[in-house]
Amino acid sequence: MMDRWRWQYWPLKTKLLLLTLSISTLGILLVCTSLVVVENENYQEQLESELHVIADILAEQSAAALLFEDDQQLSTIISSLRQIGTIEQVCVYNVAGRVVSALDESDDASCPALSVPPEVGFVGDYYRLLEPVMLDGDIVGQFYLMSRLEVLREHIRAFILVTFSIGIVIQMILAWVALRLQRLVSEPIFQLSDAAERIARDHDYSIRVPVYGKDELGRLGSAFNEMIGTVQQQNLKILQSRDELERTVADRTSELSLANRELEAFSFSVSHDLRQPLRAIEGFGQALEEDCGDQLNETGRDYLSRIRTATVRMGGLIDGLLVLSRVSRQAMEIKQLDLSAMLEEIVEELRETTDPLPTYVRIQPGIRVVGDGRMIRVAFQNLLENAWKYTSKNGERRIAVTACEASDSITVAIRDNGVGFDMKYVDKLFVAFNRLHTPSEFVGTGLGLATVDRVVRRHFGEIYADSSVDKGACFYVRFPSSIQK
Amino acid sequence: MRSEYEVKAAFLYNFTRFITWADPLSDVPDLKICVLGQDPFGDVLQQLDGRVSQGRPLALGYPESLSDSDDCQVLFVGSARSRDLPAIIGYAHDRQMLTISEIPDFVEDGGIIGYVKEGNVIRFEINLKAAQSAGLHVNSRLLELAVRVIR
Repeated sequence: MMDRWRWQYWPLKTKLLLLTLSISTLGILLVCTSLVVVENENYQEQLESELHVIADILAEQSAAALLFEDDQQLSTIISSLRQIGTIEQVCVYNVAGRVVSALDESDDASCPALSVPPEVGFVGDYYRLLEPVMLDGDIVGQFYLMSRLEVLREHIRAFILVTFSIGIVIQMILAWVALRLQRLVSEPIFQLSDAAERIARDHDYSIRVPVYGKDELGRLGSAFNEMIGTVQQQNLKILQSRDELERTVADRTSELSLANRELEAFSFSVSHDLRQPLRAIEGFGQALEEDCGDQLNETGRDYLSRIRTATVRMGGLIDGLLVLSRVSRQAMEIKQLDLSAMLEEIVEELRETTDPLPTYVRIQPGIRVVGDGRMIRVAFQNLLENAWKYTSKNGERRIAVTACEASDSITVAIRDNGVGFDMKYVDKLFVAFNRLHTPSEFVGTGLGLATVDRVVRRHFGEIYADSSVDKGACFYVRFPSSIQK
Repeated sequence: MRSEYEVKAAFLYNFTRFITWADPLSDVPDLKICVLGQDPFGDVLQQLDGRVSQGRPLALGYPESLSDSDDCQVLFVGSARSRDLPAIIGYAHDRQMLTISEIPDFVEDGGIIGYVKEGNVIRFEINLKAAQSAGLHVNSRLLELAVRVIR
């Protein structure tokens, strides 16, 4: 808060005004002070010469009276000084240095003895003078005069008052003129700064500042305008090329999505259309086995059985492709899901269908993710089926699902005690039709993890795995928190 | 404390400083002060010998008779000569002499400056008319100090 009062934060106007005013104040102060000093000197000189003239006249007048020792006459002469109010003391000495006559305003001061020459001139609040009384070149006595300086003090006080009042008036006029003139400098700078701020805020590069004169400020203004002109042109070019680029991207995207849609439609129809002949093969194969099985020899029946097995596998493949195509194309319906409950259901289904192996499944309760319910189910069904499948040759089955929440994501880990895999093939794991085991070891289409990968990707998440052979496997699925948006 | 004649002698000297002679009669630069008759000053007057008044050195003279006093500029008339005052004054003023005396009422008898005593203080009187007729100019400051001026 105090920062606002520091001079760095003051506007240029104030700084300029302050600069001008401080210089003029200094100048006026110096002038006033010198005037006062000079006036003081002059007035002192004047006062001094006046007092000397008075003293000279009185000394001359009192010469005769001194000679004839006429004290009465002397008193008459010097009492005329009573009319001058500032005169404090007058003493007349005869030639021997004795006080012959005196005039005292205050009783406490007595005439100084002449044995020690008294201080003369301006001392303290008094002016003192000592003059010889002369007659025909002979000194016939001394004349001593002491005057108060209150008139001088009064005069100088009045003079200071007048001088500084005039100084203040001049300063006010100067302040007014400075206020007017500083605009010549500050106004263009203010406009320049204002324009720069507006450009920075609104990105309006059509703004120009008015150019005043041909001085540095004028040149700055034109340079600024030129610079903004260049920025404007370049900005225009950038915008044009961006528009072009966007159009190109949009064109490409629409082309691409058209091609993609066509491809998906193609793969869907292919998968769909493949089913029909496959059903025919399967149906007639079954009919052949039932109706004409006994006419075939052992080899024939074996071939037929292989044909039928292959048909089932192909059916599975087609189903897998359809699922994959569906999770790729389907519109997403995002909502909050209780993943733990969903996993429990899947596990229940798996328990009903398969082997009597002792199975221990532990699912961390209360895992919540955001996503499309059907897709997430497909993905985790695949992951749990894999865990089930690859643990089927163990003495017992152990599966654990845990979740770990970070500030920007949640990671679900599915760990099993199955056969695992070699980490050097981890790159192939999520690619369609790639399998790390032969169908004789474990059945499968090679589409399951590809489908999981596609689902996770559509949720802007990622999947990765960690395993080693015969040490079980762990699959991590990370969903970003920002999917809610 | 100075004696009466010390003061009077000092006055005598000071009178010469405030009196101007209309035209210098003699070529001699000296200003001669003469004492006619008995000298009441004693040694005191000797102090004036050689002092300078208005640029002229003083000289002293003691003439035996009035006719011997022609070269005097200042004539002090002793008390013993009070009887022939009119003759002395007429003679002296014809020759532009400044006449001074301590004889009472000296100025009323036509003398120019007369000493008077007021208590212990010595003062003086001036007959300005006599001075002007003798051709002497008396400084106004001196007039101011006189106890009486006959115009």
